[in-house]
Amino acid sequence: MDPYKILDISPNATDDEVKSAYRELARKYHPDNYVNNPLADLAQEKMQQINEAYDAIMKERKSGGSARSGGYQSSGGYQSGGYGYAGQSAGYRGANANIYNQVRNAINVGNIGMAEGLLDRVSDRDAEWHYLRANVCYRKGWFDEAMQEINQACGMEPNNYEYQRTKQVLSQSAQYGGYRPTQGNDAMDCCAQLLCLNCLCDCMGGGC
Amino acid sequence: MFGFIRPLKSELKVREWERFQSVYCGLCHTIRSRYGIAQTLLLSYDCTYLALVLDSTSAGCETCRRRCITHPFRRRTCAHESDGIRHAAAVSVILNWHKLQDTIDDEKGWKRLGAKLLRLLLRRGYRKAQRDNPEFDRAAAEQLRTLSRIQDEQTASLDIPADTFAGLLRAAVPQEREDARILGEMFYHTGRWIYLIDACDDLADDFASGSYNPVRLRFSLTQPDLTPWKQGLNHTLLQSLAASYHAYILLDRKKDGGIIENILCQGLPEVTRQVLNGTFDQNGGKNRHGSI
Repeated sequence: MDPYKILDISPNATDDEVKSAYRELARKYHPDNYVNNPLADLAQEKMQQINEAYDAIMKERKSGGSARSGGYQSSGGYQSGGYGYAGQSAGYRGANANIYNQVRNAINVGNIGMAEGLLDRVSDRDAEWHYLRANVCYRKGWFDEAMQEINQACGMEPNNYEYQRTKQVLSQSAQYGGYRPTQGNDAMDCCAQLLCLNCLCDCMGGGC
Repeated sequence: MFGFIRPLKSELKVREWERFQSVYCGLCHTIRSRYGIAQTLLLSYDCTYLALVLDSTSAGCETCRRRCITHPFRRRTCAHESDGIRHAAAVSVILNWHKLQDTIDDEKGWKRLGAKLLRLLLRRGYRKAQRDNPEFDRAAAEQLRTLSRIQDEQTASLDIPADTFAGLLRAAVPQEREDARILGEMFYHTGRWIYLIDACDDLADDFASGSYNPVRLRFSLTQPDLTPWKQGLNHTLLQSLAASYHAYILLDRKKDGGIIENILCQGLPEVTRQVLNGTFDQNGGKNRHGSI
């Protein structure tokens, strides 16, 4: 596919335009925005396409506009920051060690139903249990329960770095990733009312 | 539960607003010609959004100019019938039917009688929509049964009832499409948002009538005041919108990106803010056909 189309720019774009288009897209599809997301695989494909398109354009321009050749390497300018659900084995000890390892594996391969079933079977629910359940909830889009579970885990083991980091990710709005919602503030309501009043005045023929 | 999805009109381009309206009119005409004029009474912007998203992956938008009952004198630009519009039309009819059924089960007196009369009017159209999309009809009936069980059990959770409603919207996308997984995810999170924003909006009414309200039970509220929980609710609602957006941008988008991004990034966050600080009804509320 045409790399310019992928970056949504014209072939005449300047190098700076190419770069800024690339940065904008990379910000949107960054793997960090899809941590523990069921669509992470698709986002990764998309990111790879974008990286390859950018590399192809840069390579072509460096070689003086000769024909594009294949076999380019992804620069991988953006790498996952690696926060969120880390997924590596935590070196468990204790009665639930085996089951927690299985849960982590199940979350890693995206088998959330299995992870949930395994967690349900555990009766003594320690901090790790709540931490793992927070990850399962988050993956399902149950954001309120994910928040409750991670708070519980942090309350039980306040010094655990992994829990604290996950809590931070879940509770900060930076976690929205490429999503940038705009919400007005209450002062704006006042403006809107003034505007309405102004319109009313106009309607009534008063020239204010 | 419907009527919360809308664009922030002041941030739309004029041609985008016209396109949005043309899809609304096109959907209305499609519903009328396929399922009867009575069905168009209940059309909301929510299904327009569904039609818009389903069609956003195909290029080209043909339009025609037509009259209708609400616009008898001037012809209005309508989007041509397309796969997305046809699908959204059936979804709209089926959803409204089940919602009406819900009203008949829950309400008493005049409201119940009115709903029963309306149901009589809508039956034929519903049967046809049911034939057109039997899978969604089955899924909707099942999810709503689960939802009423959850309500009967007075479940004190936001996510459990919201998941059921969200599952209903996940089933509302055409399952045979290649991108059904992305669309399903997108509408799952939209559904969670709709369910929870509706619960927040209904809080005062539910307090008065004593009906089930997940927000009330989750925070053990003793009065209909969300102030201490506003920030947390806003966060969890925006998380759903973020997840919906992250699914949306993975679609192979060909058109209408401006409108859909406006709805996801501006319209819905603004509705969230208004519902949480109690100004939504002053700004038109969910029964107003229109934008904010």
